[in-house]
Amino acid sequence: MASYFVDKKGFLAFLKGILEKYPLYGTVERDGFPVFKKIEEPEELVLSAKPTHLSPKEFLFPPRELLLRFNLEDGKAEPVVEAREQVIMGLHPCDIHAIGLLDRVFSHGRGDVNYLERRKKTILIGTECLPDEFCFCQSLGTMDADEGFDLFFHELKRGYLVRVGTERGRRLLKRYTKPEKAAQKHLEEVKAHREKKLKGFTRCLDARKEELPLVYAGSYEHPLWERIGSICYGCGSCNHVCPTCYCFDVRDDVTLDLKEARRYRVWDGCTLEDFAKVAGGHNFRKDRSERLRHRFNRKFRYLADRFDGLFCVGCGRCSRACLVGINITDVTNELIKDAKS
Amino acid sequence: MQRADAHPYMPQPVRLERVERLTEKESLFVFPRPQGFGFTPGQFIMVGLAGYGEAPISISSPPSEKSMVELCIRRVGSLTTILHRLRAGDTIWIRGPFGRGFPTERMHGKDILFIAGGIGLVPLRSLIKEVLAEREDYGRLTLLYGVKSPKEILFEEELELWQKAGVDVRLTIDRAYPGWKGNVGVVTTLIPQVDIDEDNSVCCIVGPPVMYKYVILSLGNRSVRGEDIYLSLERKMKCGMGKCGHCQINSIYTCEEGPVFTLQEIRHLPEAI
Repeated sequence: MASYFVDKKGFLAFLKGILEKYPLYGTVERDGFPVFKKIEEPEELVLSAKPTHLSPKEFLFPPRELLLRFNLEDGKAEPVVEAREQVIMGLHPCDIHAIGLLDRVFSHGRGDVNYLERRKKTILIGTECLPDEFCFCQSLGTMDADEGFDLFFHELKRGYLVRVGTERGRRLLKRYTKPEKAAQKHLEEVKAHREKKLKGFTRCLDARKEELPLVYAGSYEHPLWERIGSICYGCGSCNHVCPTCYCFDVRDDVTLDLKEARRYRVWDGCTLEDFAKVAGGHNFRKDRSERLRHRFNRKFRYLADRFDGLFCVGCGRCSRACLVGINITDVTNELIKDAKS
Repeated sequence: MQRADAHPYMPQPVRLERVERLTEKESLFVFPRPQGFGFTPGQFIMVGLAGYGEAPISISSPPSEKSMVELCIRRVGSLTTILHRLRAGDTIWIRGPFGRGFPTERMHGKDILFIAGGIGLVPLRSLIKEVLAEREDYGRLTLLYGVKSPKEILFEEELELWQKAGVDVRLTIDRAYPGWKGNVGVVTTLIPQVDIDEDNSVCCIVGPPVMYKYVILSLGNRSVRGEDIYLSLERKMKCGMGKCGHCQINSIYTCEEGPVFTLQEIRHLPEAI
């Protein structure tokens, strides 16, 4: 994989160039935290090493997405695919891994045209990060991203080392900057940052990632589920912030002039009360403990079987967002401890 | 039915040819079978109305019925309430079929015990009629059908026709009812009354969630093997394509791997039954 050096001026030129051609979603600082938003001016964008509270999945899998329109006057229907070229910038390695997982989900079986079209038109640009007190990607093999992005920026003292992931990325970089080949000192700076990152983790899982599906399989009746279920609010925050939670509801509404009905999908969450409730009222996952167990099992076991990869990327967002302090590493480590004893 | 490149959520409109009230809560919706609409008994389609959404509905007519598709729909949720206001000539939107139905080819030469609880007769009707269309391919046929009260018996005239066509049809109602002279008790009370050749039988069970556990216990007592027991499981479904997550039973997606499973396939899943 080719690596280039771009100085700070070059970086600004790159941003300017992108902004002229594409809608750009990137990170800005707000109340001391980075958040993803639509970037209007190049100076706004701050490539942040801190994790974002919300994942960038919304730019590929919008919280509300139109699928069909029904013309109520002539009775005709038409499918809707709202996809346009866009750039997402500031993705951390965990986010890049998460997008790779979403790609598998939405291309599974009958491909999801809405997601796949948007994905095809989206340029992904990563950046390096540092862990906070919730991160544990080093335990899941998602600490580094070697693929799954178009470009990846490592911030250096005097500029950026840019790794090129795709031909599309290379063209983009060369169109707006004059990249030099990265020098040894640049690569060493990147290496030093990685060491620093590795030392920054305060949390880890006490088992290898390959062991986790079995740990969860053996913990189905563990008393922990009742315990965390009893404090869980069932608010769905963990689903909402998770970069790999992709469950959705499909709903209809009608425009106020009654001329058009729209079928759209909205994010849904398996920890919400009605998630598995059928017409007539039977709820297949009535208790919060059952719903939490389902969510954790999806991350570490169920989807691993289906898509050949764990669906937790160690970003810590669910723990960060949980209103009652349920922490995914504490939960998993308790199960690991009891599985090993 | 759908082209590979078509939008996966794009339904096709079908015009209802007949809507027939069957019971207080169930009606039969009949529409001409669209070209290329192939299915197996036990599969379902998404039925929708513009502005009201979609619901998964199992097909009630057999694949051997080439001209029409029949859906028996209970008025139970918001969409089905609106569906029940429709008349012949109205349009509904369908998508599918989805999922995996009953593998009739694996039942050839065998006795079949059909066990239906309430509206569970609806998908089984597709299978029963398909089997009767090729009667000579199968052994003895028995239907055990349980409902809450005689008013809820579905397809009553057809039950008589099936009886005449060689199906041993046995009915039961949950609680005694004025004028009812047949069996009283849940559907499991019928199981000890039938003769089952456990080495050459398959059982096909469809009913409300609560029914399966007890029926399976009773069949276990009669030495029927897990791989010979087929069940159709109801779950919430929104996409039909293994993505939206609602129909998941532990690791499996009911809309793709099901809704028909062998007991063998789901026995290890704590959420299944």
